[in-house]
Amino acid sequence: MQYPEPLAKLIESYTKLPGIGQKTATRLAFYTLGMEEDDVTNFAKSLLSAKRDLHSCSICGNITEDDPCPICRDKTRDRSKILVVEQSQDIMAMERMHEYHGLYHVLQGVISPVAGTGPEDINITSLLKRLQKSDDVKEVIIATNASSDGELTAGYLAKLIKPAGIKVTRLAHGLSVGADIDYADEMTLFKAVQGRTEM
Amino acid sequence: MILTELRLHNFRNYQDLTVHFAPGINVLIGRNAQGKTNMLEAIYALSLTRSHRTSNDRELINWQQQSASISGVVQKATGKVPLELQFTKNGKKAKVNHLEQARLGQYVGQLNTILFAPEDLSLVKGAPAVRRRFMDMEFSQMSSKYLYDASQFRTLLRQRNKYLKQLKYGQQHDRVLLTVLSDQLAAYGAEVIVARHHFLQHLEKWAADLHYQISLNQEHLHLAYVTQVKVGDETTVDQAYHELLKLYQDNQGREIDQGTTMYGPQRDDIRFMVNDKNIQAFGSQGQQRTTALSVKLAEIDLMKEQTGEYPLLLLDDVLSELDPVRQTHLLTAIQDKVQTFLTTTSLSDVARQLIKKPTIFEIKHGTLNKEEA
Repeated sequence: MQYPEPLAKLIESYTKLPGIGQKTATRLAFYTLGMEEDDVTNFAKSLLSAKRDLHSCSICGNITEDDPCPICRDKTRDRSKILVVEQSQDIMAMERMHEYHGLYHVLQGVISPVAGTGPEDINITSLLKRLQKSDDVKEVIIATNASSDGELTAGYLAKLIKPAGIKVTRLAHGLSVGADIDYADEMTLFKAVQGRTEM
Repeated sequence: MILTELRLHNFRNYQDLTVHFAPGINVLIGRNAQGKTNMLEAIYALSLTRSHRTSNDRELINWQQQSASISGVVQKATGKVPLELQFTKNGKKAKVNHLEQARLGQYVGQLNTILFAPEDLSLVKGAPAVRRRFMDMEFSQMSSKYLYDASQFRTLLRQRNKYLKQLKYGQQHDRVLLTVLSDQLAAYGAEVIVARHHFLQHLEKWAADLHYQISLNQEHLHLAYVTQVKVGDETTVDQAYHELLKLYQDNQGREIDQGTTMYGPQRDDIRFMVNDKNIQAFGSQGQQRTTALSVKLAEIDLMKEQTGEYPLLLLDDVLSELDPVRQTHLLTAIQDKVQTFLTTTSLSDVARQLIKKPTIFEIKHGTLNKEEA
């Protein structure tokens, strides 16, 4: 027996989400059937509005309702620093720290020839234009992930930006706060020793 | 370490079997298709949770049965450790000291084994890729930094090769990214090259000694590292990096035309030299065999160096491939040192006399009989 069409469609929609397979999707679909109508309506509205009302900021590429985004509009922010991240979620992580008050730039991806992503496919051109347009920026902090693609992207950005006389820095690698040296893996320790700082 | 006891349940052609092994050399003798290699496979699997012959665990379960198990008791310097491995159609479970291990990675390392099977001859005779894989496997066990550098190198190599192809076919045009790829690839490539040079000398030290013994003090084995970068004992990673980077810079056009990376450790090889002759091209079958055996046996000493205990040695049908003189020297080199399991169809008289106290098991249709001396 097959599921009635509306249910089958709902299941199929759920399977499009990451980490959700056929079984979980079926469970979610049946759960949705049992939900209050108001909740379901809100759910559907949120889905649509997330897609319709959010755009990329024309300056930094962050997701925002209004263009430019609140961070780019904020006059109190330090305009001499731009922190470059892979995706919008990374900005949230940085903001939770409450210690960085500069601007951001979201690449919306990393360079990976194997995955078919070249330098033009991510938000690099807009970053370079930003740097050309204003003389305020004194430092670009590259905060791509410590993965091989992240390092490649970082190396590429440094190669392009440094000749313009702008300081380019990279986030440190090493031990996490409160970590036991005992439990750290060898490569993390190696990076931590390599990147040690003078006291 | 010593495997004192092994129990098999529905494993391949063994239904229920308990066997007590001796600390020295255990000879598994039997005609073809009786289960000699299955016994070695069981010990290998108990050590590494997987077979060396198949990647499909269901093949290990006796046909028509639902599950199989291998269990054993390992005597280490620190005490006895019971190990158990269960195979079902849904997966496998590993227990140490009767406690189930959440990750198989935690289990591996309890029992160390080294297997030498006839296929291992391809180390000498086969393509260079076989020898590069051997180096990566060996050296990764010795250094986790090597493991990291080699895997970063492989990832970057894939990226660079892909990008060279995209440049070749005009899908990408940005040469700056190529210079960044070259730079990062050269950095990891240099680490790999210097480490390989270093580790290969280490391996040679042990392998050459063994080879000298097995060949009746007549053959000197030398492992020559073949790589495109000039590398010696004094070479620093930085020098190798600059040399490799220069190769990439000077040959950028050619590499784009070829659409692939032409320089770096992915083209490395080992040349096995016996008395200054390249054994791959000019050696006899027996010399090639001895060489493969010496290099493989050198792992025993390397592992002892790292873990403080000798591993078990599994020799699958190796004796029949060697002449009596080499057989006896091989056996003398290992006896009293390493618990060894060797399979053979017939134990030649020489070996019977020379192994000090071999424990002989006769295998017939999945049963084992200890032969009284």
